[in-house]
Amino acid sequence: MAARAMQPGPPEEMTIERNDVTTDLSVDIAGVRLANPLMPASGTCGYADEYADFVDLERLGAFVTKSITRQPRAGNDYQRVVETRAGMLNAIGLANVGLEAFLTEKVPLLRRLGVPVFVNVAGTTVEDYVAVAEALEDVDVVRGVELNISCPNVRAGGIQFGTDPEQIRRITGALRSVCRRNILIVKLSPNVTDVTCTAAAAVDAGADALSMINTFTAMAIDVERRRPVLANGTGGLSGPAIRPIAVRMVHEVYEHVARQAGVPIIAMGGIQHARDAVEFLLAGATGLAVGTALFVDPGVLTHLQDGLADYMRRHGFTAVEQVVGAVPVMR
Amino acid sequence: MRTSRGVFAARVAAQRQLCAEHYRLTLSVPGFPASRPGQFIQLLCRPPYASSAPRELTWGPDSPPQLSDPELIDRQTMLRRPISLAGRRDSGDASEIDLIYRVVGTATRWLTGAEPGAELSVLGPLGNGFAPRGAGEAVLIGGGVGIPPLLYLAETLADGGTNVTAIFGARSEGLMPLRVDGAAVPREPAPSPCIADLPPQARAVLTTDDGTLGVAGTASDALLEWLRRREGGAAGLTAYCCGPEPLMRAVADICIERNLPCQLALERYMACGMGTCQSCVVKVRDTNAENGWAYKLCCTDGPVFEAADLLW
Ligand SMILES: Cc1cc2nc3c(=O)[nH]c(=O)nc-3n(C[C@H](O)[C@H](O)[C@H](O)COP(=O)(O)OP(=O)(O)OC[C@H]3O[C@@H](n4cnc5c(N)ncnc54)[C@H](O)[C@@H]3O)c2cc1C
Ligand SMILES: Cc1cc2nc3c(=O)[nH]c(=O)nc-3n(C[C@H](O)[C@H](O)[C@H](O)COP(=O)(O)O)c2cc1C
Ligand code: FES
Repeated sequence: MAARAMQPGPPEEMTIERNDVTTDLSVDIAGVRLANPLMPASGTCGYADEYADFVDLERLGAFVTKSITRQPRAGNDYQRVVETRAGMLNAIGLANVGLEAFLTEKVPLLRRLGVPVFVNVAGTTVEDYVAVAEALEDVDVVRGVELNISCPNVRAGGIQFGTDPEQIRRITGALRSVCRRNILIVKLSPNVTDVTCTAAAAVDAGADALSMINTFTAMAIDVERRRPVLANGTGGLSGPAIRPIAVRMVHEVYEHVARQAGVPIIAMGGIQHARDAVEFLLAGATGLAVGTALFVDPGVLTHLQDGLADYMRRHGFTAVEQVVGAVPVMR
Repeated sequence: MRTSRGVFAARVAAQRQLCAEHYRLTLSVPGFPASRPGQFIQLLCRPPYASSAPRELTWGPDSPPQLSDPELIDRQTMLRRPISLAGRRDSGDASEIDLIYRVVGTATRWLTGAEPGAELSVLGPLGNGFAPRGAGEAVLIGGGVGIPPLLYLAETLADGGTNVTAIFGARSEGLMPLRVDGAAVPREPAPSPCIADLPPQARAVLTTDDGTLGVAGTASDALLEWLRRREGGAAGLTAYCCGPEPLMRAVADICIERNLPCQLALERYMACGMGTCQSCVVKVRDTNAENGWAYKLCCTDGPVFEAADLLW
């Protein structure tokens, strides 16, 4: 893993005091200090502009953008989402404004948030990823690049990179040499037999942090019309339905890869209530991202913060790090 | 930072069944921001988070977490559901909004059981809404569950001095989501004041596919016939339409052919309703784009679009 200097910047510690106990919600993600572990999951919060009406954005631990590609993408045809039992399928197809418009139109707004920004990067070739990550090195408000090699909804690139350890090594290595100021977060796909293999490949090649998991490739069929519901055919399953699998995967990666390597995990997959957030911390996560639940309750990240602080007080924890991985090893 | 939209705790003020499939739900929403016809809300069709949260407090050392989270045991929807504003009334800080919904699935079936006093979570108001073109004359074409936003629009237009003609269609008499004065419903496209839910000055033609009420046929057929009979044809008119897509396409074609300005309120499957998930795309003409079109979002750029811009 490449060594890096601690980033300057205000580590706005969020502390809540009650009964003489101080609950420190701040966490460290590979040298980037977050006031609390909670952030939106990529693709569920746009570029923050649409969200400002609903959320005190400055209370987020970090902000994670929708995937950015080198060129703008219109995305897949309609119909792009469908609700399933305790979850939803999406096949947006990485619709985004492209690197140039991101830099000129979206970055000024992100600058005003006052929280660290992680930019999710997608592409179809290694060169694409490198070009975007290179450009992000010069954007002060950006503190990390989240490498999306796990999108199930595009024909080229995406998940193709994310399911083969060799490819992961190659692309992570290429990005490693580009990300000098930004931390490199590799977002893992759950669509693999053994997630510890892909996690290990990313860590070996220099990932500073892992985020997991992206959506599960899935499908819904309209039985009356006898055709797939989504125009793309398949989509990615997210929401409460995937949470138990995500918890298992986070725990496996924590036990077998991340803990020894000292690499933090940003966990996501169906977080909705505070107990879900705690569950992921216990499984071994340091950061927590929420996607689908934001559509239902745009203010959920701040509710989760309060719930997490409450849990920590009830159980006598004074820092989030004490909760991380605090369950017996799975054998 | 919070300005024009947000999440609000609403109380059911009244609920009434209108016909076989439609219900009218009135919600009291203190502090609901200014809204306009064509806008919608995202309604949580299950008990709000707040009331299910106490479950989390029940587990301690002696009561371990149970696999009984609501989502695992109940048949409940997770996402909110988009429903158009069908009207609103304000007095002081108190606001009431009307919704008219058709029972089609899990969420809307659950809503039918919402008793007066029950708490519901409302996210809104969302979308751009209709852009009324000053006074003059307006024709409102609605089909089935597309009628509700047009009731709110009729009220606003009439208040502004616009002459309103409504052409509303349903499959059958028993599925008309309106309070209708049966005796006064014309059997041909000659508008009359036959609907209690419209402002008193407004006139209406009703159509049913099976001819059980009003004019037999679709609302677009009746629009054509009404335009044919109208002095000056489409001159001086603005059209506003909401309904099933085949109806909206037919109305759009009729209006474009006659140079009649026409605004349509579209429907799309929505996850967020706030412009963040990119799920609700509508294909519109865009002369700046290489291929001549671009995707717009139904939830924030719409749901109201100009007929001439749409590639659907
Ligand atoms: C901007 C907007 C305004 C709307 N206004 C109203 C309104 O005022 N009154 C009203 O009754 N309905 C309205 N709808 C449609 C309403 O949102 C759906 O009927 C509702 O989501 C169905 O939820 P459900 O769980 O009961 O049905 P589900 O179980 O989700 O679906 C049942 C059936 O309804 C169809 N359906 C579900 N959602 C949609 C959708 N968004 N668009 C088209 N078809 C759908 C499905 O194909 C399925 O066959 C509006 C939709 C939009 C996008
Ligand atoms: C509508 C939608 C769009 C998404 N877009 C992206 C994306 O652009 N890039 C990405 O890495 N993940 C994307 N995701 C995946 C989420 O970031 C997250 O990994 C996944 O949804 C699991 O979390 P959840 O269950 O809390 O939603 C998207 C998910 C949804 C539901
Ligand atoms: S419904 Fe999410 S962007 Fe429109």
